[in-house]
Amino acid sequence: MKAVDLVRSVRVLSLTLLVFGVRAPLPAQDDLVAERSAFALWLANAPDSPLAALAQQAIGAGLTLGPADADVPLKNSAPMTVREEGRSVTLIQQGTRTLLTRDRLTAIGPYQLRPTGPSGRSVLTVFGPDHRTLIPTYYPSDARFIVTGSLAKPASRVTHRILMLDGVETEAIEAGVLTAALESGPSKLKVYRISDEDSGESELVIYFQDLTNGKGSYPAGRFVTLIPRDETSYLLDFNRSRNPFCAYSSAYACPAPWPGNRLSMEIKAGEKY
Amino acid sequence: MHPFLLALTFISPTGPWKAVLDLAGGPLRFALTVEQKGGTWQGTLCNGTQCQELSAVRVAGDSIVFDIAAYAATIAAVVKGDSLIGEYHNVGRRGPRTIPFRAAKGRWPAEKSPTNLTGRWDAQFLTDFDASPRVIELRNGKAGLEGTIISNTGDYGLFWGHAQADSFSISHFDGSYVYMLTGQIKADTLRGIFHAGLRTQTRFIAVRSTGAPHLKSPSEITTADTAPFRFSFPDLEGRQITEADPRLRDKVVVIDVFGTWCPTCHDAAPALVQLYNDYHDRGLEIVGLAYEVSGDSATDNHQVRLYRDTYHIPFILLRAGTNDTEAAAATLPQLTNFTAFPTTIFLDRTGRVRRIHAGFYGPALPQQHATLVKEMRKEVEELLSEK
Repeated sequence: MKAVDLVRSVRVLSLTLLVFGVRAPLPAQDDLVAERSAFALWLANAPDSPLAALAQQAIGAGLTLGPADADVPLKNSAPMTVREEGRSVTLIQQGTRTLLTRDRLTAIGPYQLRPTGPSGRSVLTVFGPDHRTLIPTYYPSDARFIVTGSLAKPASRVTHRILMLDGVETEAIEAGVLTAALESGPSKLKVYRISDEDSGESELVIYFQDLTNGKGSYPAGRFVTLIPRDETSYLLDFNRSRNPFCAYSSAYACPAPWPGNRLSMEIKAGEKY
Repeated sequence: MHPFLLALTFISPTGPWKAVLDLAGGPLRFALTVEQKGGTWQGTLCNGTQCQELSAVRVAGDSIVFDIAAYAATIAAVVKGDSLIGEYHNVGRRGPRTIPFRAAKGRWPAEKSPTNLTGRWDAQFLTDFDASPRVIELRNGKAGLEGTIISNTGDYGLFWGHAQADSFSISHFDGSYVYMLTGQIKADTLRGIFHAGLRTQTRFIAVRSTGAPHLKSPSEITTADTAPFRFSFPDLEGRQITEADPRLRDKVVVIDVFGTWCPTCHDAAPALVQLYNDYHDRGLEIVGLAYEVSGDSATDNHQVRLYRDTYHIPFILLRAGTNDTEAAAATLPQLTNFTAFPTTIFLDRTGRVRRIHAGFYGPALPQQHATLVKEMRKEVEELLSEK
């Protein structure tokens, strides 16, 4: 049913635009409207929504859950320990061992647990049954914040471990530096490629700061992904900028700003805070 | 007609639809069919001749939702005139993934492609700093241009599409994987883009295959040490089974490392059953090692039993672990560079590893499939003849 509601909300929105005679001065952004509606629904309903997150912590030498003095206190829950053993993650509860599958949710009573991250340095995210209420808000779409740019590749392959917007350490390849013609002049932004081996998909990600941070947008900065345009150029659409999950819940680690990715202008586009 | 009236007019979704996912790099074509049987809506999703049933189709007013339960994915659309407009969604760890979807009433035409495109191509996929080999096969099939992409460890499934003059586009969309290959031939060289999901684009360049091997041989990828192969895993009844099991003593043993979640493993199952039925009397045993999704023994055993019953598997099946490649490798420490599901390991009568085949060629590659099956039979016959 949720998907049907989503379609309806998109239609209501486009209908509103029609009634008020507003025409977005933009190339077709229907997909952006759909993307945002889907994201809002996911935040409100998904069992692993950041709005249901209770904690995200490194498993380390063993993470205790349950009692008030545990690493992660959980109401009405028996004491549990999560350990990383070799390459797998195990939950020990009253002498019973349960294997927690990496990157997947396992329900334990009213809670959902998910181990993620590289083996040896896994983190556990704990989700509760209730969702806080938060509806993301956005600056009005503005064509001035859609620019094209080309990517200058680094001389050699450099791999880093960075925190992605969900606070999880991820392997990233330096994809290069994008030069974008912004109103304040040409700006250089560092771009990382994040790949998912299973699906064969990858994203060219930019984590940037600008002069709206703390004054309308999230203080730590925002994430945006590049859209390939042709063989040599990319579309950078700041209207698609998103907050890291730490903006929705203090359970998440906030990625540190990427050095050099601070723009000397206000990007009044994308997600607000 | 006034746009409001048009939107309110009810159009039946019954029939065939020419569907499209609008990727950043262009439209990915597939087909949807909707029908009503005994008051229930049903649907199929097809890439050319390869079709799958949708788990549910829900129609409410002018909204229609297609569920692809196996991948927790949906296509949600509204009927607008004689079109469907909406999005494809599935959910990842960092939020939902949305790809614009549209469809028009009718069937995609089946068009023959020019023969200068068909055949076998040796390709290099070019990422930021690497080039990695692939083989691209293009052929004319019943529904038009067909093809597949083969890597060192297997194929990407059946692709279907069309060609116009010197350009082609083929795709594979099964509800989860969103793949499209587009390209153009110019002076004997094929150049183009491999699209994955909404925005991933990988350039490729290919030349006609000369027949010389372009990919690493699947039997040279994973290797094993020289000691007798050891394992110890529970069967579906919970009994711990090892290589010392009396059923395996002095037998030629084929170990099938698989998962019920792995489409290529499903492709391999009938071939293994045939192998077992043909050679079991002469001393062949097969042991399937299942690496499953949940890690929960009841859930995983259930999945493996379904798999066993679907393919009438007569051989031993053990629950070996979870489907994380690293975790799986850890349970088989005698292997080096374990990379693919399925991996087929051939043991001689003394229990030593004689050959390891990474991946499997499915029926999307009829020729390689036939050759591989022939090679597997030959290997088994040779090992059986050793006393």
